[in-house]
Amino acid sequence: MNDKKNNIILEEYEDEFSYKKSKTNLNIEFNRIAFIFFVFLIISIIYSIQLLHLGSVKKKVSNIKPLIIKKNYRADIVDRNGNYLVKTVSSIDIGINPIEVIDKKKLLINLKLIFPNKDYIKISKKLEKNKYFYLEKKITADNYEKIMMLGDKSIKSEEKLTRIYPQKNLFSHIIGQIDDDNKGISGLEKSFDKKLKKIKEPLKLTVDTDIQFLIREELIKFHSIFRSKGSTAILMNVNNGDIISMVSYPDFDLNKRETVNDVNFINRATKGVYELGSVFKTFTVAAGLEEGLIKTDTEFLNLEKRLKCGKNIISEYDKKIPSDLTVEQILIRSGNIGSVRIGQKLEIEKLKLFLEKIGVLSKIDFDIEEVGEPIPFRWGKCKLATVSFGHGITTTPLQLAKGYAIITNGGFEIKPSLVQKKLEDNQKQKRIIKKGVSKQINEILRKIVTTKEGTAGFANIRGFEVGGKTGTAEKAIVGGYTRKAKVNTFASIFPTSKPKYVMVVLLDEPKTSKDYIYKYKNKIGSYKGTPFNTAGWTSVEVAGKIIEKIGPILATKYIEN
Amino acid sequence: MRKVIFATIIILILATSLVKNSTKELEDKIFMVNENIRPLKSELGDVLLEFNYLSSPDKLTKYQSQYFEKDLIKIDITKIKKLTKKNNHINVSDFIEKTKDE
Repeated sequence: MNDKKNNIILEEYEDEFSYKKSKTNLNIEFNRIAFIFFVFLIISIIYSIQLLHLGSVKKKVSNIKPLIIKKNYRADIVDRNGNYLVKTVSSIDIGINPIEVIDKKKLLINLKLIFPNKDYIKISKKLEKNKYFYLEKKITADNYEKIMMLGDKSIKSEEKLTRIYPQKNLFSHIIGQIDDDNKGISGLEKSFDKKLKKIKEPLKLTVDTDIQFLIREELIKFHSIFRSKGSTAILMNVNNGDIISMVSYPDFDLNKRETVNDVNFINRATKGVYELGSVFKTFTVAAGLEEGLIKTDTEFLNLEKRLKCGKNIISEYDKKIPSDLTVEQILIRSGNIGSVRIGQKLEIEKLKLFLEKIGVLSKIDFDIEEVGEPIPFRWGKCKLATVSFGHGITTTPLQLAKGYAIITNGGFEIKPSLVQKKLEDNQKQKRIIKKGVSKQINEILRKIVTTKEGTAGFANIRGFEVGGKTGTAEKAIVGGYTRKAKVNTFASIFPTSKPKYVMVVLLDEPKTSKDYIYKYKNKIGSYKGTPFNTAGWTSVEVAGKIIEKIGPILATKYIEN
Repeated sequence: MRKVIFATIIILILATSLVKNSTKELEDKIFMVNENIRPLKSELGDVLLEFNYLSSPDKLTKYQSQYFEKDLIKIDITKIKKLTKKNNHINVSDFIEKTKDE
């Protein structure tokens, strides 16, 4: 115990006399305080930095998040040159909630001052029903101010979006319509409904307003000349499937927001399913060339004038057609029996496979939902014969254009599109038809337009190297076909030396014209009146006039395409 | 050594806060500019819509028939010429080369 006490005394003694140690203890305390302050300083600086830039951090996070679908937002739609086809503008609808009306008489008097032309007997009845109703949709700024100045609680304003279509009817079938709840109900408005509500930038299409206008003008002009039920024209880039123009006539003004129930207003280009006739012969020949079963100079000798298959009799349209024809001549002269013989050489499987490959047999996957489905049929010997020359088989004009694009562009697969694709999508090209087939087909198509025997002389427009095939088909009725109603089609490509464009012109039930004056393209002179209701005298003339008008624009405007 | 490390850390923190502050100012300016652009963009959209409507092919054709006596004519592509400048000389050639069958 004594030892312990002594030790303590010694320590106390040491503390008292060691000045240095005492100073160190004070320093430790001072450093601790300084350290704590320092830590607080760092924390406060870091916090202040975060505090100052909290907004920017939040902003970055919100950029990563997917865009929220706004109820009152819908992106605009522009053409390939950036011209507005659809523009969203906000509008205000005025409604009245009768339950909240204090003085009905006073309200009616006030409303009459602002809207003197309204039927106030009806409005009065609506007020009695105690059910919310719209008084004025898309109210003007002046009237909005006046009605709000009334300060009546029963008057409700609702902000809504309105779609403005500056090109009126021009793109009615392509764009389609929306309902009052900002929901697309047809055309691109329907198929791109979600995207249009999300994207910030306008949706850019492949169509050209000027070209579309010129084509539509020609269709309208010839609609009255040939008194057709309707007509359609598709202009597409053969190399990437971009649709530059797609017109279906009759059309409607989107700004009127009418409900269109008349079947005649359907989009004939995509929804119309037709038996297109001889335009299919090109596919039969292309399939034969693809399979290596025929060459363009392969001869078919002693061709019959008539063939009987079951109940059907297959005969030539042109009675002067020779009995000995090469493959090239069969296509140029549009020989039915010759096409049947090529089809028989091919057999069912090969022809079917080829038609499937170019996409004319099944429903097309397209940017708009209004697409028709080719009528399915059972293949057999007689079906093979009729399909070879384009009868008993149906498809849409859009699919016909796609088929022609593939067989003339070097055999590359394309997907028709109305919306501009990314550059890399355009570059992915897959060859589905052998190299060399296109060149042979294109040469024959050119001869159909340039030679005397060809059926499409009226499309020989100088400077554009137009090639194409005509198709005249009688419409199917119960129990057979009618000669009174025809579908005249011309599928053309230009320039044939290096095709850029495919154009399909279809006239639905055209009639002959007594007064129309045709100007020959392959010889001097003109002809008054339509002698035959065939594609050569109707659709080809329309296509020729269209190419004459749009050709210089295409050649100069899209020089680098 | 310690003092140097502490001093460096403090300087770095202060420098970061200063840089961040200046970027914040820039961000504010950018935000203001963006906010000012928004109504201008909307105005531009409306003006463009008006322009697209007034200069649409349909309107132009109507104006043409209303104000001009002569009709619009189709351009013959074979008459379009191509001018190319080579060694200070301008060569004139056909825009479309004629093919054998034309």
